[in-house]
Amino acid sequence: MDVFGSFALLLAFLCAGYAFVGGIAAIRTRHPLLVKSARQAGIAACGLIFLATGSLVYLFFSDSYWVSYVVSHSNRDLATFYKIAALWSGQEGSLLFWSFLLAIYVISVLLVYRNKNGELMPYVGVVLAGVQIFFLTLNNFVANPFKVLASPGANGALEIFTRADGNGLTPLLQYPEMVIHPPNLYSGYTGFTIPFAFALGALLARYPGEKWIHLTRKWTMIAWCFQTMGILLGAHWAYAVLGWGGYWGWDPVENASLLPWLTGTAFLHSVMMQEKRGMMKVWNVWLVFTTFMLCILGTLLTRSGVVSSVHAFAQSSIGNYFVGFLLLVFAVCLVAYVKNRDYLKSENQLDSMVSRESSFLFNNLILLVSCIAVLSGTLFPVFSEWFSSSRISVGAPFFNKVNIPIGLILLFLTGVGPLLAWRKTSTDSLKRNFGWPVVVALIAGVVVFVLGVREFFSLVCLTLCVFVTSTIGMEFFRGARVIRSRSGASLLASAVDLTMRNTRRYGGYIVHMGMVLIFVGLAGAAFNRDTQKDMQSGSTLDIGQYRLLLQGFDSKAEKNYTSERMIVEVWRDNKPLMMLYPERRFFQTNEQSGTMVAIYSTLREDLYIVYAGENPETRQPVIHAYLNPLVKWIWLGGLVVVLGTLVTLLPNRRAVLVLAGAPEGARVQQPSAQTLAPSIALREGHD
Amino acid sequence: MIKRRVVAVSLLIALSASSAALFSSRVQAQQTDRAKQIGGKFMCMCSCNQVLTQCNHVGCTTSASMLKELDGWVARGDSETVITSAFVQEFGTKVYAEPPRSGLSLVAWSLPTVYLLLGTLLVIFVIWRWRSRALLRPASVAGRQSGVSAQDLERARRRVAQETED
Repeated sequence: MDVFGSFALLLAFLCAGYAFVGGIAAIRTRHPLLVKSARQAGIAACGLIFLATGSLVYLFFSDSYWVSYVVSHSNRDLATFYKIAALWSGQEGSLLFWSFLLAIYVISVLLVYRNKNGELMPYVGVVLAGVQIFFLTLNNFVANPFKVLASPGANGALEIFTRADGNGLTPLLQYPEMVIHPPNLYSGYTGFTIPFAFALGALLARYPGEKWIHLTRKWTMIAWCFQTMGILLGAHWAYAVLGWGGYWGWDPVENASLLPWLTGTAFLHSVMMQEKRGMMKVWNVWLVFTTFMLCILGTLLTRSGVVSSVHAFAQSSIGNYFVGFLLLVFAVCLVAYVKNRDYLKSENQLDSMVSRESSFLFNNLILLVSCIAVLSGTLFPVFSEWFSSSRISVGAPFFNKVNIPIGLILLFLTGVGPLLAWRKTSTDSLKRNFGWPVVVALIAGVVVFVLGVREFFSLVCLTLCVFVTSTIGMEFFRGARVIRSRSGASLLASAVDLTMRNTRRYGGYIVHMGMVLIFVGLAGAAFNRDTQKDMQSGSTLDIGQYRLLLQGFDSKAEKNYTSERMIVEVWRDNKPLMMLYPERRFFQTNEQSGTMVAIYSTLREDLYIVYAGENPETRQPVIHAYLNPLVKWIWLGGLVVVLGTLVTLLPNRRAVLVLAGAPEGARVQQPSAQTLAPSIALREGHD
Repeated sequence: MIKRRVVAVSLLIALSASSAALFSSRVQAQQTDRAKQIGGKFMCMCSCNQVLTQCNHVGCTTSASMLKELDGWVARGDSETVITSAFVQEFGTKVYAEPPRSGLSLVAWSLPTVYLLLGTLLVIFVIWRWRSRALLRPASVAGRQSGVSAQDLERARRRVAQETED
């Protein structure tokens, strides 16, 4: 199967090569057969990548311990679904997995548009094939996952040998979320290849610039959604596994995943300027190019060892390939832009400073500033070493100080932007839209202050969260009220109807609401508490309103590890509440240990208990307890963001009115939004 | 009488002992808080890229020994500057959790503000320019400045409309 996988990869490389060269020839000659054969070669390359990936998975499941990659990342007792996770746990497998996910996107695009957009698709196909060639080069010639174990035999020739068992999977990765976090994140990274390919293809094809935006909106949303889920799942994994009580440590690898998310988010907003007003075409093209390049840069940071990170793969020369590819991509984008920039000329005009357009400009500014600040902070240790021969670390305190104010400005714009009208917002409209939300937010701010929140940024954050929630709530309420007055349905049903009539606009609001919930969770971090104590059976530890009573220890032997658990009884307000079992696991195969944190999570706070090992001086077991307020809101916010994104991907439902009290069948097809109240009709027109 | 004195003295001793214990635990708590606050300004040197007080890797001996050193210095009453220089001497500048606000590190601190200021100025300039453009020229003639003629641009748009579908 290893030979089969290797061969499939090699054939995939050749097919991708043909798709690239044949695609260029097709563009030049416009010969239909060439166009078709290039497309078929692209599809074949994807199919072969699927076969190669399937082969590697099979090698894991069949415990093929003559394949070096399988030996390094699996063992016989490894649970079945972790054998799937083992696929992306190392350099070679994760690069193959990257090719695999990219192939899913590529084959989807090639099939969905096989009979559409005949002039544009060859360009898109060539760009996609170019990206595939790069990754297949790595898969075949730099980091081949199908290498076998071999040693010189008696006659001096290399002989394949088989190990009795593998080294096992890193304990940190033996956690259910590790089976879904990397696929999500990688799907985000690879997904941005599609808008990139369309943007570059459209530029090369000298398209004036509007159309590729329409074609790629859904693909961009899908990639962004995966990236968001990947980031949040990664944060949850860090929270539940690493045992340091936090979810985001501004590690270079975490930062690398955030960078394309920030530019991707900027793109999703600024693209509306282009759709509605034909503005910012150059900016949008470069935002997509930058997002794709940041995905590659993130991969470079993770794999080259340029920056130190607990997540990073071992230092290797593979970074040079990524640098080369990054430079090549930049050069191609630059040349394509310089040669065809005339086709991107925008009709940039603004009627007023107070308008939706201005808010988008500021939104993009803030997202970009955040992106550059995170990037420069991440790379500063490298630069400091170049310029002063000593490496200066840039850790979480720096990033928090820099990004918290930026995040709050962004949160403010989240509330303000959607309520401003395109072109010009009148003073009356400002008063009508913002009067109540400002009042409600100020009252909430005072209440929160009185309740004891004195930390400045948290206070501002919570106040802004109320402000944004009010603006979003008012938008839904106004629209739903109009629908209710005509249909007689309940307010909730009317709100659902409203959302389904303009999924993009109201789905966007749901995404914003999710972000608000995430910000609420982040605001809680200022009030985290923790305490640590040596414990023996019968000892207690107090934290907040909780008392932890250590009842004892037990141990269990699983197939792949042995574990020692603390049995902790949790009391709240002098009443027994529940049992928690923080544990330490010892994995025999690779002789590594890991923690399993015990969490009691409520909307108010998380009680987070870590079995932190043994105090070397007292030889007593140590318990480390954290009380982290509002963390659950972050995960809930993530779910709402995903829900909102899914809503934006749905097609708009045509409005149908059911007249209150009218007999069955007296349904009236509503011709358009014009029959709604004027303000709503206008709003529906601009999302 | 003697009995009363014994009780009074015992009470006094107990009171003093408990206040001493209370004082000592308060001092200890203050020391712990101070150690935590200072420890939050350094990185753990086990290459985990985490702040010293947050490193909780199983079996991480580096953070344990660093925290022990820190506790010792804090108990001795050393100032933050002294503790910082001791750590920097031992591990180099990579021990900082955030760059010091001096020398080259000042660049790291000032860059985000510079980006924000320059970006804001740029956005304001762009808005001003686009507004003046709207005031000077009607929208219909906009876009004619491009190197491509208006007819070519229109032709390209028609071509795109024909060639693509959502």
